Amino acid sequence: MNTPEVHINAVRLAKSVKLTEGSLTILHDISLTINRGETVAIVGASGSGKSTLLSLLAGLDVPSSGEVHLAGQALHRLSEDERAAIRAEHVGFVFQSFLLLPSLTAIENITLPAELAGVKDARERALTLLKQVGLSERADFYPAQLSGGEQQRVAIARAFITRPAVLFADEPSANLDAVTGQKIEDLLFRLNAEQGTTLVLVTHNDELARRCQRQCRMQAGRFIDTTTQDLADVG
Amino acid sequence: MWASIAWRLFWRELRRGELWVIAFALFLAVGSVVSLSGITEGVKSALLQRSAQFNAADKVLRSSQPFDEQLFELAEQQHQLSTARQMQFDSMLFSGDAMQLATIKAVSSSYPLRGDLVLYRSELVTAGETAVLTPGQVFFEARLFDLLGVKVGDEVELGLAKLQVGGVIVNEPDAPLSVFGGSPRVIMHLDDVPATDIVQPGSRIGYRYLFAGDTTALAQFEAEANDKLSVHQRWQKMDRESAIGGALERAERFLLLAGLLGIVLAACAAAVAASRYSQRHTRAVAIVKALGATTAQIRLIYGSHLLLVVLFSLVCGLVAGQLAIGAVQWGINLYMADYRAEFSIRPLWLGALTCVICALLFAARPMWRLANTAAIEVLKQPAAQFVVDKLQWLTGAAAIWALMWLFSGELVLSIGLFLLCAGFAALLIATAAVIVRLVKPAAAGQASAPKLAIANLRRRLWANSFQLITFSLAIFLALLLYFLRAELIGQWQRQIPEGAPNQFLVNINQQQRTVLNNFAREQQLQLDQYYPVVRGRLLSINDEQLQQEATKEDRSQQRVGVGRELNLTWLTALPKNNHILQGNWFTEGATAQVSVEEEIAERLEVKLGDSLAFSIGGQQVSAVVSSIRKVDWNSLQPNFYMILSPDLLADFPATYITAFYLPAERNQLLNQLARLLPTVSVISVDNIIAQVNDIIDQVTVALSFILLIICLAAALVLVAQVQATLEQREQELAILRTLGARYALLRNALLLEFALLGAMAGGFATLLAELMLLLVQQRVFELPFTPHYSLWWMGPALGIGMVTLLGWWQLRRLLSIPGAQLMRRVLQG
Ligand SMILES: Nc1ncnc2c1ncn2[C@@H]1O[C@H](COP(=O)(O)OP(=O)(O)OP(=O)(O)O)[C@@H](O)[C@H]1O
Ligand SMILES: [Mg+2]
Repeated sequence: MNTPEVHINAVRLAKSVKLTEGSLTILHDISLTINRGETVAIVGASGSGKSTLLSLLAGLDVPSSGEVHLAGQALHRLSEDERAAIRAEHVGFVFQSFLLLPSLTAIENITLPAELAGVKDARERALTLLKQVGLSERADFYPAQLSGGEQQRVAIARAFITRPAVLFADEPSANLDAVTGQKIEDLLFRLNAEQGTTLVLVTHNDELARRCQRQCRMQAGRFIDTTTQDLADVG
Repeated sequence: MWASIAWRLFWRELRRGELWVIAFALFLAVGSVVSLSGITEGVKSALLQRSAQFNAADKVLRSSQPFDEQLFELAEQQHQLSTARQMQFDSMLFSGDAMQLATIKAVSSSYPLRGDLVLYRSELVTAGETAVLTPGQVFFEARLFDLLGVKVGDEVELGLAKLQVGGVIVNEPDAPLSVFGGSPRVIMHLDDVPATDIVQPGSRIGYRYLFAGDTTALAQFEAEANDKLSVHQRWQKMDRESAIGGALERAERFLLLAGLLGIVLAACAAAVAASRYSQRHTRAVAIVKALGATTAQIRLIYGSHLLLVVLFSLVCGLVAGQLAIGAVQWGINLYMADYRAEFSIRPLWLGALTCVICALLFAARPMWRLANTAAIEVLKQPAAQFVVDKLQWLTGAAAIWALMWLFSGELVLSIGLFLLCAGFAALLIATAAVIVRLVKPAAAGQASAPKLAIANLRRRLWANSFQLITFSLAIFLALLLYFLRAELIGQWQRQIPEGAPNQFLVNINQQQRTVLNNFAREQQLQLDQYYPVVRGRLLSINDEQLQQEATKEDRSQQRVGVGRELNLTWLTALPKNNHILQGNWFTEGATAQVSVEEEIAERLEVKLGDSLAFSIGGQQVSAVVSSIRKVDWNSLQPNFYMILSPDLLADFPATYITAFYLPAERNQLLNQLARLLPTVSVISVDNIIAQVNDIIDQVTVALSFILLIICLAAALVLVAQVQATLEQREQELAILRTLGARYALLRNALLLEFALLGAMAGGFATLLAELMLLLVQQRVFELPFTPHYSLWWMGPALGIGMVTLLGWWQLRRLLSIPGAQLMRRVLQG
């Protein structure tokens, strides 16, 4: 099923969570194939299940039913630690709310995944990335001393340090002003182009979505056909 | 790779509080265990060494049969112990026409093995050149010179031997304390005994084997010798003679258990801090896991944090504990110059074990849970409060019980104590629940400080009734210890009040009483009452003849007697420190009655109403047992087995015992007294009083030390608890501030919250402490119920003061942070 072209393959994914009374299904019957080097945007209203889907594709969580394959591995059959090993090797992450470690400096936050994966030249790579995101001056700042946009840029640098084959970004520019947001997006696409990374990004921003090769629209935990609906209708 | 991450995180985390709290808690636990057990061991060994001095040896074997050479060989050759021999018998001394019954002690050259035998070549104990006991010489107790009319250098006859008077006995380490009315004492060399020809089959001679040496060697020797002992040989009890051996034993157990509760508190603080640490790191762990870290890597990172903290605390604790021990040993040396300090490894491993137990069972569990955090947690809101899981409660409880067992060394006691504590905790939780229910939620309307405070309390009390338990427990312990300390010390000081008689005068006759009274008036000495003493032998009980020599062989045929002459007295009033157990004290005009001491009554199988016949100066006197008395043998006053009603003895010639207090600087008065009343013996109990006072001092210091530890541990619990709510408080404050709450309102609400919490904890603590104190008063000290009024304001005041101060100290920083910055910190997460 996995050709070398196919990088991520999700088959009939469903996710439900237990509540105090009964359970709630937040993803229904999602199937998706993403090729190597492809850029895909996932769009949809707030609460439609975008972040949840992303967490399944990245192996942060396992689906209630269905299958997820990433880089030839069946994520849904692996344990938490086995998935962690795959993330360390193949996956980069930019979270909706930055999620930097507050007790580490900018450069330490960036080197962290590389150190976990046992990369030798972590510091050199981090310095290069810091330069690329324009934060060379801020290397030894703690997250609390950085602005929201600066933190997001650190998070992006962190995502790229292991040279991941696939990058997941959850609304990378949502918390930023238009200009900064634009810069961050440019950075993402530039790094994607330079390193040939597969990019899956969640966004509310149509313009950003259009920069991707493909758009998937979600509503109430399902994909809806993107061809029948104009992107501009949704905000 | 994980090591460098772990190391970096560790250093950053040191700036936050939790690791320090854990470290300090463990340090407190280790330090207090090491020092407490080391100090009690030190005091115990000092006491043992003291009592060894009072026995002239570390171990004494008594026998009624001649020396068994095998035992000496075993001790000397196989166990490298030093030995000495001693024989004791009563015999007549002759000098010309004069004769006198004396108690003769014949000793080998190596005597004494412990303590000092001081002899002077003189008739007076106060001046003279030091002499050494050599064969051919005898040394006399001072009064014997007059009784026999001899001087140093004269010859006296003992049995068939002629011996030269060498001088006076100044200090005999193992002189019996109960010599009231006994014969004068004589010391001679063992080598001279055969020449006297006194040792005949059937003569009553006490043989003593004296041993001294290394503690372990002694124990091995004793175990091995036990198989070889005959019915005539038995070990002398060594510590029974110490005036307050029992009290010290009780104090030691109390100290350790009180110390233990301090440790439990410290461990709770460690648990709270570790939980808090883990809770605060949940987010970080989820992030790091999302970035690809495995559970094992996380475990290594946080495990190494705990390990570093444990190692640090362990080393500091061991060093601090050992320093405290050293200080105490130095202190003991000040008043006991020949104290041999022994390094003991036991306190050290006990401390290390405590540290490991606390770290593993209290602090490791939250960290273990932390590593299990799932990566998906990054997408969720972190929980604002840490949740103590069931296993954590379970391991914590197990740890407390394990510590109790470790310290008490008694399974049943530890289980009982544990259940008691669990009961207390359950009671507190139940009460807290009721109170929280009773306090009405604040009605809508204007925000006020009390309303905010109560709202805060309601929420947090429920989330964390653990907090209330530990506060209450801490305050309870502090109060209990404070009051018990006062009570313990008071009890001991009552036993030996300031100015209690320290010089006993024995063997005073009727005429000498007037001389003594005059002397006392001139010198302004306060004489105690005169106790008349008549020597008599118990002949029969209910007309049944008693065997007079307590030999084991013919026990079955004849009823057991006392085996020696008794000091009989008659008194109209019941002496202090005596309690009637059965029957009644003599009524006015009682005739032919006797009051018998409890222990001897039991040994002789004497009951109320039995008739006892005594032989006194050749005449027979009968009396009916009208009461059984309990005597406090620890009290320093003349005590009697048998007290007769005045009608029986008044006509017999009696000698008298009295006592007075003489300050040390007036000791030269004793010489004058010796010249004035040469036949009266002076027995000084100064060194016993000194010993008791030393112990009281030591125990007082130890108690204050434990009080300090408990207060520190309690403060630590509080700090840990407040730290645990810091984040949540930050959030609330940020929101309240942005909504426009003024500084004064927030400050007052905060102060009030802590004051209420403190008052509640203080109130519980007071209640528990009063209950416990009443129990202890009745059970241990046998005192009547007296409520401790000062407790009722001290408890709540302590609670309010401690909790408010510590809470404020930690949170005032939060209040002073400008709203915007606070908001930003909160949003950072
Ligand atoms: N653990 C959970 N328990 C209950 N409900 C959950 C849980 N996780 C997600 N949900 C629900 O599932 C739905 C999808 O959540 P998700 O975070 O994927 O939305 P989203 O599309 O990323 O929204 P947004 O654009 O606001 O980030 C939401 O309605 C959310 O409330
Ligand atoms: Mg989302």
